[in-house]
Amino acid sequence: MSFNLILVSSCFSLIVILLILYFLKKSKINIKYALVWLLLFGFLFISILIPGFLEWITHILGFQMSSNMILSIIIGLLVIINISLTTIVSSQDKKIRLLIQEVSILKEKQR
Amino acid sequence: MTKVLLIIPAYNEEGSILKTCMTVKKCDSSLDFVVINDGSKDKTEEICIKNNLPHINLIHNLGIGGAVQTGYKYAYENNYDIAIQFDGDGQHDVTYVPKIIEPILKGETNMVIGSRFVDKNSSEFKSSGARRMGIRLISFFIKLVTKKKVYDTTSGFRAVDKSLIEYFARNYPVEYPEPVSTTQILKEGFSITEVPVSMNEREEGVSSIRAWKSVYYMINVILSILVVGIGGRK
Repeated sequence: MSFNLILVSSCFSLIVILLILYFLKKSKINIKYALVWLLLFGFLFISILIPGFLEWITHILGFQMSSNMILSIIIGLLVIINISLTTIVSSQDKKIRLLIQEVSILKEKQR
Repeated sequence: MTKVLLIIPAYNEEGSILKTCMTVKKCDSSLDFVVINDGSKDKTEEICIKNNLPHINLIHNLGIGGAVQTGYKYAYENNYDIAIQFDGDGQHDVTYVPKIIEPILKGETNMVIGSRFVDKNSSEFKSSGARRMGIRLISFFIKLVTKKKVYDTTSGFRAVDKSLIEYFARNYPVEYPEPVSTTQILKEGFSITEVPVSMNEREEGVSSIRAWKSVYYMINVILSILVVGIGGRK
């Protein structure tokens, strides 16, 4: 991998990690949802900095270029994270509906 | 005595809700009803309070499925034997109520659908060809997964017995509630009967199925039916 690419992608990983940590500190993200991002970009950051490590994985997985492999893996993981977010949204949807219904029925009883 | 409840979901129905409720009262004063005001932005709530109509005011808009389910929860908590879904927009005719609950009173079935299509002569409901096609297509898919022919799959005029009140209070589909719940309960082994009714043209308000949304609606309904219908019980 070229030096420029290493510089750009490691900086980017670092920024994402710091951003997540910042949101955690401000309690804008729950720790259980933050963990997956930290792990993903932490792993990316470390593997970029270990010389030869990315080339080794690229070779094993059968990609021709490290950049292609990083791109593919990240896209794959993003898809999975997004699907899990969709399930979280759906279950919250259900909980909110239940709350609205029960509160509204209670209010009617109180009248 | 059998306790019967009319569930009247209303979203921005200030123009017709009072008329609908008055028609119900006039027709049969012993009939209980509850208006589910689905977070209307107009004067629906004021009208309910001013005229002392029994109503539940949803603190936020839930959509037709969530509103109707609130009615079923209310029916379940208050121990009703039969619950009837009845539109607040004047589309449904309260004089059909005895006819629609008759099969349930006789213990023949769990749910009765007031159907516009089961008997062609009795119904003068004018609906567009495209909509009839859509309903027929939904009907085909329900037949495919449940082996049971239901003609009017989107009718919102339906009566259910006590076992289904309990079932719907616990799980009622929020999206595309009529066709999906029909599929769901057929899959669960409940029985459905259709009774011919005629419906009025909408007096106020707009049908929740708008033209530009209809293709998207159809795809979603068919997908939901297949998801609910294929595979075993939950």
